[in-house]
Amino acid sequence: MLYSLLLVFLLPALGIPFVYFGGKKSSKIAASIVALIAIINIALVLTTVPTILNSANHMYIEEYAWIPVLNSHFTLFVDGISVSIAIIAMVLIVAAALFSIKYMEGKKNLPVYYVLLSLLSVGLVGVFLTSNLLLFYFCWELMLLPAYFIIGSWGYRESYRAAFKFFIFTHAGAVFVLLGIGAIYMITGTTDLFAAQTALLSFPELAKWIIIALTAGFAVKMAIVPLHMWLPDAHSEAPATMSALLSGVIISAGAYAILRLSLGAVFPAVAGTEFGTSFLHGLAVFGVISAFFGAFIALVENDIKRIIAYSSIAHMGYVLFGLSLYPSEPLIGGALAITTAITGTVFHILTHAVSKGLLFLSAGAVMHQTELRDIREMGGLAGKMPFTSTSAIIAGLSIAGSPPFACFISEFLIFVGAFDIIRTNSFYLVPTILMLLATVFSLAYSLRFVYRIFIAPPKPGTTLDGNEKHKITDVPNSMKIAMLILIIFVVLLGVYPAFFINLINTVGFI
Amino acid sequence: MVGIFDVAFPIVSLIAFSLLTIPVLRGIRKTGYKTALTLVWFAIAFSVAFAAVANLALQYYALPSPQPFLSISLSDSSLSWLSSVFMIDGISVYMAIMFTTVCAVVMIYSLFYVDPSKRPSERYYAIMLMLTAAVIGAVFSGDLLTLFIFWEAAAAGSSFLMLYKKNRSSLNATLKYIVMIVIASAFIVFGLSLVYGITGTLNFWAVKEALTVLADKTLLILAFIFIAAGYAIEAAIVPFHFWLPDAYGAAPSSTAAFLSAVIDQGSYYVLIRVLIFILVPTAVLDWTLMLAVMAAFTMIVGNLFALIQKNVKILIGYICVADVGYNLVAITSLTSDGLRANLYFFLIGGITTALAFMAVGIINHYGFKTLKDFSGIGRKMPLASLALLMAALSFAGMPPFGGFIAKYMVFTSAIEANLAWLAVIGVLMSVVQVAYLFRLVNYMYGKKPKDEVRIKEPIKLLIPVFILAGTIIILGLFPQIVLNLIEPVIRQLPFIP
Repeated sequence: MLYSLLLVFLLPALGIPFVYFGGKKSSKIAASIVALIAIINIALVLTTVPTILNSANHMYIEEYAWIPVLNSHFTLFVDGISVSIAIIAMVLIVAAALFSIKYMEGKKNLPVYYVLLSLLSVGLVGVFLTSNLLLFYFCWELMLLPAYFIIGSWGYRESYRAAFKFFIFTHAGAVFVLLGIGAIYMITGTTDLFAAQTALLSFPELAKWIIIALTAGFAVKMAIVPLHMWLPDAHSEAPATMSALLSGVIISAGAYAILRLSLGAVFPAVAGTEFGTSFLHGLAVFGVISAFFGAFIALVENDIKRIIAYSSIAHMGYVLFGLSLYPSEPLIGGALAITTAITGTVFHILTHAVSKGLLFLSAGAVMHQTELRDIREMGGLAGKMPFTSTSAIIAGLSIAGSPPFACFISEFLIFVGAFDIIRTNSFYLVPTILMLLATVFSLAYSLRFVYRIFIAPPKPGTTLDGNEKHKITDVPNSMKIAMLILIIFVVLLGVYPAFFINLINTVGFI
Repeated sequence: MVGIFDVAFPIVSLIAFSLLTIPVLRGIRKTGYKTALTLVWFAIAFSVAFAAVANLALQYYALPSPQPFLSISLSDSSLSWLSSVFMIDGISVYMAIMFTTVCAVVMIYSLFYVDPSKRPSERYYAIMLMLTAAVIGAVFSGDLLTLFIFWEAAAAGSSFLMLYKKNRSSLNATLKYIVMIVIASAFIVFGLSLVYGITGTLNFWAVKEALTVLADKTLLILAFIFIAAGYAIEAAIVPFHFWLPDAYGAAPSSTAAFLSAVIDQGSYYVLIRVLIFILVPTAVLDWTLMLAVMAAFTMIVGNLFALIQKNVKILIGYICVADVGYNLVAITSLTSDGLRANLYFFLIGGITTALAFMAVGIINHYGFKTLKDFSGIGRKMPLASLALLMAALSFAGMPPFGGFIAKYMVFTSAIEANLAWLAVIGVLMSVVQVAYLFRLVNYMYGKKPKDEVRIKEPIKLLIPVFILAGTIIILGLFPQIVLNLIEPVIRQLPFIP
């Protein structure tokens, strides 16, 4: 459809006044407008799917004039990968908006909250929809600001401190991205992703520095150890809806950016060289470190949201490990090389987004109903909050990688791809075994999480132990609907992954 | 054909309006419609000035082939190279348009900030118009002496604006400022006399041509050091920057806004003119490395001092210093991208600092001065805080505000000129900038205020503030609007290969 991507871009921005004045009446209206716009956007993005599946280059591109002097055009493009992530991102926005109605009830300045949510959705979705590096950076930073204010103003405890940390860390990462983008523009004279990819092929020396700057910048957003320090605070202090979006989409945007920019645009210039191979090996090492670091701390952490936050670090470790399996041979002429491992990695971004979103919403529901956050004080909530516990168990099992839930398929694909590569590159043997080991840990912390909160009897003497004053009930319906949407996706991606996997496989040529 | 009348008209008309302002405002004060009539008076003044500048721009670009230097001499004799000369080229037209526009907005703010019904305010406005005229005169001057005269008039004249409050701290700061300006002018005059001795002329292109063929450059280097030091003092380049934060901090906010948007930014014009158009590098003098080092120090010192600053207004003064550093990076790169970046940064930097000073001025008015006072101000004064927040974000280089595109262009031009180390320093300092700006934001929105009383904000003062804030967003989203104006300038660069 003509202009459909432009509309996806503009609708949330144009909706802001309606959201604000609707929100002044009741937050229900504001939330519904945000959700409605996201649903319309999903429909609009879906209209590009036939083009992606059927056209020769499997892309859908819209181009508008923007800053000709800087050779920058307002290029909106989707291919199989970006369309899948954009859809999942908008699903999470729908869920977050619906969840907010009751979750945020009684808080101050709610119209502003919903305005920030729609502003956030512009950036969140925009990152995946453009092939212009400058516009990409625009959206990349546009995610930051609303997130800062949402975490700061509506978070828990020392929320502004956490938001500040989040902002400084990710912005420091972003300026390196900017440096990389500026260098690409200066070397190639273009800010278009695909033109830059071809032009960079003749500058392998400079490409080294660019790929390092870009990847380091994106790794901060992805919270790869040792650049992860912002994540536990930001995720745990943010309101649950924001945590779901942070963990589901914002850190995944880092992974997407590494795939699209570092590996897709710059890597071909260094592919086949010694540097290129060691770069990929480096990604694998950092992936393994993150996976273990996150999993270990998640095992011993007692704060309900910090467990999930550290689990996000672990899962970004998986994603980075998956990205490191990118084919190191020089491949000319394609946007991205898709192997089983890369398909699995992109799919893991999707499955992790919905599962982690669901887990954060469930944790938010628990905190909302019990006003507790230390899991040692909880227990036996399964009987009192059956719906929340079901969703948490589904999400937890998915995170642990057990079939038939979403993350199983994606982790399985990553490992199949890894074993495929081990046959030609023995370096990956040790990391792959270690990553398999790490899945055991993720099962361990997921089970501990679910068992401690929902199944185990509450410890004697805690507030939940037989105290009739604290009548804990399950969450209201609107929150249930939000969680139900994500449950559907977690199950659907697990039992019928074909739709997204087919889309992802249209990109590239292996 | 562009004549002497076209060039002199904006300057002369502004001076005439300035002289008439005092009696007119006194007359208006006696009538019943003070605010309305005052507004009408300044609307007339600025429409005339704007029409004059627009006329000049149109006339210039209507020429069959706009020459890089179109000179208009005051005397047609054979001694024209000795006489005072006006000069028009792309850059001066661009600067004149921008200065007139920004001055008009700052004037609206001053009209409500400095109460026009109180006694000496008419002088304040008169001096402001006069300074605008002087800056435009400096922009159009075609020889070093005319430039010097107009420029000193603007720089020294601003001390009257600083003194408006007549309290101890402003007296102190003004004194410091005047001493610095006097030292600076002494340096410049000495340097100019050397240049005159070497070349026998002060006319821009005559000087340039004479210097290009100059064999022994020792004296020239000496002259350059003096002139550079003089203008470095006025542009507040580290290590000559220390007067600026004090002066801006002590001045009334409308003055600080005017100074940062017009006088401070005008000093870049002088730097660009002298460094890029006269002392053309490699042909005349290679000053790039020296300036690159100064740029690095200016960014580092400006940002680090801002980091430890407690008073918000002085903090913004240090941001002005840091901004000078970013501008120098662009000048140093010596590329067409660099000059484009510089001209864009100059505009955005000027608007943003003016916006910040205006917003802080509104907040200061209620007695909130230090970071601690700013606790929770976001809830007490939401609109003024929003404006300050937007300025902070633009300083920090966050999209979609103008500061982002400006910084992006500055850094890319540094990379293009093989000054990647300077770009890296700039980027790292940009992170420092984000740190202290977000500490401010943190105080404004994150901390609890002493009391929850909401302050009724002065809507009239907020109108010019939000005009500037809107401009920043529009220029951030559609930089093409201004970049199109800059394009003719780029084509006139002397060093374009």
